Amino acid sequence: MIGFTESNHLTFKKLFAAYGVYMALLILLIVASFITPDLFDEETLAVLFRQSAQLGIIAIGQTMVMLVAGLDLSVGGVIVMTSMVVAEVSNGRDELIPLSILVALILGALIGLGNGLLITKRKVPPLVATLVMLFLVQGAQQAFTRGVPSGFVPETLGIVNQSWGFLSIPLMVWFALNAVFLVLLRVTPFGRRIYAVGSNADAARLSGLSVHRIKIAVYILASCLAVISGVILTGYVGYVDRFIATGLDLDSVAAAVVGGTAFYGGKGGLLGTIAGVLIIQILSTMVVLLGLDAQTQFIIKGLVILAAVSLYGLAQKQA
Amino acid sequence: MKDDQLILEMNNISKSFSGVKALVDVSISCKKGSVHALVGENGAGKSTLIKILSGAQRPDKGTICFKGKNYESFSTREALSLGISVIYQELALVSEMNVVENIFLGREIRMTVGIIDSARMRQEANRLLEQMGIKINVNREVGELSVAYQQMVEISKALSRNADLIVMDEPSAILAGHELEQLFRIIQSLKDNGVTIIYISHRLEEVFRIADEVTVLKDGQHVVTRSMEGLSRAELVSAMVGRKLEEVFPQSANKAGECVLEANGISTDTILKKVNLKLHRGEIVGLAGMVGSGRTELARALFGADKLFSGEIKLMGERVEFSSPADAIRKKISLVPEDRKQQGLFTELPIKNNITLPILKKISNWFLLNRKMESALVESSKKQLSISMASEHLDVQFLSGGNQQKVVLAKWLHTKPEVIIMDEPTRGVDVGAKFEIYQLMRRLTEEGIAILMISSELPEILGLSDRILVMSEGRIVAELEHSEASEEKIIEYATMGESKAA
Ligand SMILES: Nc1ncnc2c1ncn2[C@@H]1O[C@H](COP(=O)(O)OP(=O)(O)OP(=O)(O)O)[C@@H](O)[C@H]1O
Ligand SMILES: [Mg+2]
Repeated sequence: MIGFTESNHLTFKKLFAAYGVYMALLILLIVASFITPDLFDEETLAVLFRQSAQLGIIAIGQTMVMLVAGLDLSVGGVIVMTSMVVAEVSNGRDELIPLSILVALILGALIGLGNGLLITKRKVPPLVATLVMLFLVQGAQQAFTRGVPSGFVPETLGIVNQSWGFLSIPLMVWFALNAVFLVLLRVTPFGRRIYAVGSNADAARLSGLSVHRIKIAVYILASCLAVISGVILTGYVGYVDRFIATGLDLDSVAAAVVGGTAFYGGKGGLLGTIAGVLIIQILSTMVVLLGLDAQTQFIIKGLVILAAVSLYGLAQKQA
Repeated sequence: MKDDQLILEMNNISKSFSGVKALVDVSISCKKGSVHALVGENGAGKSTLIKILSGAQRPDKGTICFKGKNYESFSTREALSLGISVIYQELALVSEMNVVENIFLGREIRMTVGIIDSARMRQEANRLLEQMGIKINVNREVGELSVAYQQMVEISKALSRNADLIVMDEPSAILAGHELEQLFRIIQSLKDNGVTIIYISHRLEEVFRIADEVTVLKDGQHVVTRSMEGLSRAELVSAMVGRKLEEVFPQSANKAGECVLEANGISTDTILKKVNLKLHRGEIVGLAGMVGSGRTELARALFGADKLFSGEIKLMGERVEFSSPADAIRKKISLVPEDRKQQGLFTELPIKNNITLPILKKISNWFLLNRKMESALVESSKKQLSISMASEHLDVQFLSGGNQQKVVLAKWLHTKPEVIIMDEPTRGVDVGAKFEIYQLMRRLTEEGIAILMISSELPEILGLSDRILVMSEGRIVAELEHSEASEEKIIEYATMGESKAA
């Protein structure tokens, strides 16, 4: 028989794939403690966590979409849509908050459905399909509001700013959603199917999976997660802002990539994405603390993604 | 004497992967201008040895002596420039490029000013192909050629690099009978030109046909190297599997029961034309024919993978319509596809995820997977099919070819099918495991399962089938009972053109 022992080689690769990003996070924190010690102020940390939660909730969806070899660029549009719908439907009345969120969720699900249908039935590449959806959503918003958003965000929605130390409501929501989706991806049939569809769609179909249905479900989930993030963001800002979600879409992709989720599907997961989100957010905060301009921020993000991708490529080759 | 000159010596090569000892102290030497066969069970280490030779992998230990020079290891680039070419089972051609472009990919012939000299390249390509005695239009895209021709293009590519040593890793697995003859002719002419060949195959008839010497590996260790002269098949097999192996096909119980699956005049818009077929409980029906005769298309149509253009499928006498494989699976039909890497497996996912994918619902309580139950199922497959694997968590890509095939089989057996369609079920499977699979197929039919087996290996078709259907150009042109079938008859029907078939 062939002998087998858990050797260092395999474990190193596995360790790197699973925890490499956590080591990177640790290193980043050490560096930060030297060059931007302000990062560890209680207030700064609280803001950092709140922002991480907002990004993190979208990144959960983005990660799942990328696991089925897709991409969702419409999440920003969904967030803005959410904030408009909440203001429009509730028009400042607290008792209408649940209804307004429900309407936003339904619209979000429809957008996700649109993404999924375009990608599966019309075979539009995910990048194009979700971009098309983004334009459609933005166009519809413009047409509906005629450029000037009306309605008011109910005051009670400001509850999302509640916090107990670092433990803010957005952070708890992020944790809870991560827990739910971690379980979903790891120990449910649906999770297994997501990985299968992403790693070989042909074989998945021949194994009896409804590849289309699974992909569509994933896009719907991603949009609904964006709605949740949108509600939190709206409550935080307190008014309707068309630029509320600027940059969040690409940041969510970046977080997933830095966390080790592959663009070609079937590889990666949420544990990595959580670290990816924190890295992206810490970097952004550090840039602000250092007083650097926006361009520098982009360059740094770009370099970090580049480093992550090449390291994962390297680990892959080692196998 | 020139004949006995050694062109290659690999000495004391060892290699392990995460604790799996793929090669332990293996030495092998090849005489110039000879055909050296490399045989052994699945997972014996053949491909690993070849990957080391081609520079794709680095040995942990050992040296390679090629054309009298010693090397610790070399890169793939160095191996190529030394004159070592490997033709892998998954051909490495660019299907969108034409034959000439593929042959000279990365080494285009240039004129003095650096412009690509297409005319000379075309000339050279034609010369190489002619030398091998084959006619292909060199301007055709490689993707349009049959796999057999693609393989020829690979060989020409090796020749164009002036390869002195060509390694073929299971080249015959993708070829049909007459194509194989052509390959043998080419190998003979290469040999006459002093090229050395290392030939890996699980089909021992081929080894006896063309090899001068054979090396047997087992569990990563060298068993024996000897000349083919005076070697009997039984001796070779027992060296490979380490025990006496009776190569007898399991006896048919000859108890075909009621008809389970029936196809009436099914056509597809690709190749199938009005195919009729009946499959009974407890029988193995062999589906023979040339590559491209529509066998795979028939399998896919019955499984709901491709749309029917016309005709109907009946299951237990009832008309069914499958809009996807999921429908067919629900009705207890399984398909073991032809191309396991593309269609059967998730190579980057663990073995257990592969095996339990179609039955995830069955192994979950509520919506959570019961991982204990899953492990137990995987363990039972491992025993039933003797899959050699280090752990169920290992990605399938790290299994040897034959063990990958067993994983596909295991996946389908857990769905408790009533009809199993197997497209080349023993492709790449070693002799020992092959007969285990035959036994298993027989056992399954004794439990009342119906099996439709597509195979390009006539001994398998003849040995195992209760009935044999022969396809040609999208039609079933003959039906033979087990007793009346012979290789000659099958080939005759399989090669007769449309005109005669009418
Ligand atoms: N990259 C890898 N990682 C882990 N294990 C590997 C790797 N490559 C090969 N192995 C293991 O090494 C052993 C030898 O594999 P190899 O592919 O050389 O077998 P083989 O003789 O070519 O078998 P087959 O006839 O089935 O193709 C097997 O047990 C296989 O699982
Ligand atoms: Mg092999």
